[in-house]
Amino acid sequence: MAALGAWGSAAAPARLSRVARALWGWRARRGLGQDAGAADEGKAAKPSFEDETVQNLLYKMTGLNLQKVFRPVKKELKPPKYKLMTEAQLEEATRKAIEEAKEKLIMPPVLKEREPIDDVLAEDKFLEGTETTKYVFTDLTYSVPHRTVFQQDRHEDILNMCIAQFEPDSPDYIRVHHRTYDDIEKHAKYDLLRSTRHFGGMVWYLVNRKKTDGLLIDMIQRDLLDDATSLITLYHMLHPECQSAKAANEGKLQGVDLIKVFVKTESQKEGYIQLALQAYEEAMATSTAS
Amino acid sequence: MVQLGSHLLKGYRGGHVVIRFALGGCTNRPFFRIVAAHSRRARDGKYLEQLGCLDPLPNAHGERVAGLNLERLRHWLGCGAQLSRPAEKLLGLAGFLPLHPMTVTGAERLRRRRAQEAALAPADGSSGPGDAP
Repeated sequence: MAALGAWGSAAAPARLSRVARALWGWRARRGLGQDAGAADEGKAAKPSFEDETVQNLLYKMTGLNLQKVFRPVKKELKPPKYKLMTEAQLEEATRKAIEEAKEKLIMPPVLKEREPIDDVLAEDKFLEGTETTKYVFTDLTYSVPHRTVFQQDRHEDILNMCIAQFEPDSPDYIRVHHRTYDDIEKHAKYDLLRSTRHFGGMVWYLVNRKKTDGLLIDMIQRDLLDDATSLITLYHMLHPECQSAKAANEGKLQGVDLIKVFVKTESQKEGYIQLALQAYEEAMATSTAS
Repeated sequence: MVQLGSHLLKGYRGGHVVIRFALGGCTNRPFFRIVAAHSRRARDGKYLEQLGCLDPLPNAHGERVAGLNLERLRHWLGCGAQLSRPAEKLLGLAGFLPLHPMTVTGAERLRRRRAQEAALAPADGSSGPGDAP
């Protein structure tokens, strides 16, 4: 429990309620002392995944599409139930639904890859004399090719299965997640993950590797300017030495100007982003005019 | 051929999926395949899936080699397969499952028997047979 306490309290975001700690109680079961040390190093060097500001930004970007969060999970078919409600009851029900949706959107932790365990798992002295020969155990697992899953756009399903089966710091979990994020970024399918709990992890991965251009274009095309600014703020927090971060700090820029400065200095797909911004501004102009 | 198929498929009443050893090899040369099969099938008969193998004879380096497909093993255990006792013991030694109590008991019995024999052997000269076990 000490290790869990260190990890949970050092970040102390309000969103990590008791529910989340019970979910990620694998920390308590392991009781590994080295995790607390690793978390501290991450915070001292640069903002880590669990910082409150980082979590807030990622949460804002995830969005809260109730229709998608409570999309029916494939179970047996039952006819829908209809309830008659007054206005007040409807508001109450919507509020409760938003609370539950927030819990569903709690992000699974993004951690460093665990080093392969080379040490002895258990030494049983009392078994010493029984076996005259040694046993060698080989693991024969092989992974399923991912092409079929990605073709069917089932990225979210595979990430959910990954969470259920693997621990968040195992190499398999990390490998599958990275491959999924790369595929999403290659085909610009960001919307698949948008209102799910994997969005934060994906954004963290992309920002760390500076591959944010596609995501930025997607956000501008969907008129999500606030999300775009949060993305750039997060980028500046993680890479404070880049030019646009310094310019933003000096000028205290907001909104569209921030995006423009970022686009000029840091992005690779400058042309595309400029075009998207222009289209957005024209759309804004026509809508305000009419 | 499709019409013949239903007569070739064997239907069982009851039974469940087990993960057990299927013996193969030749005379004086056993070889086990770790296999998921219906409990009512013959030991070496048709199985659902092979999950690994075990060579009980030590190899050139004095090791007994066992291979386990842990991912598929987890899948079958998740589907509700049961394990035979030797399969449980093997997985306990491998570390996938907790150690089987009979492994511990067997080790204790062996140790006690060896201690008894060691006590009996020098007791020919010095004193009578040692204390009661």
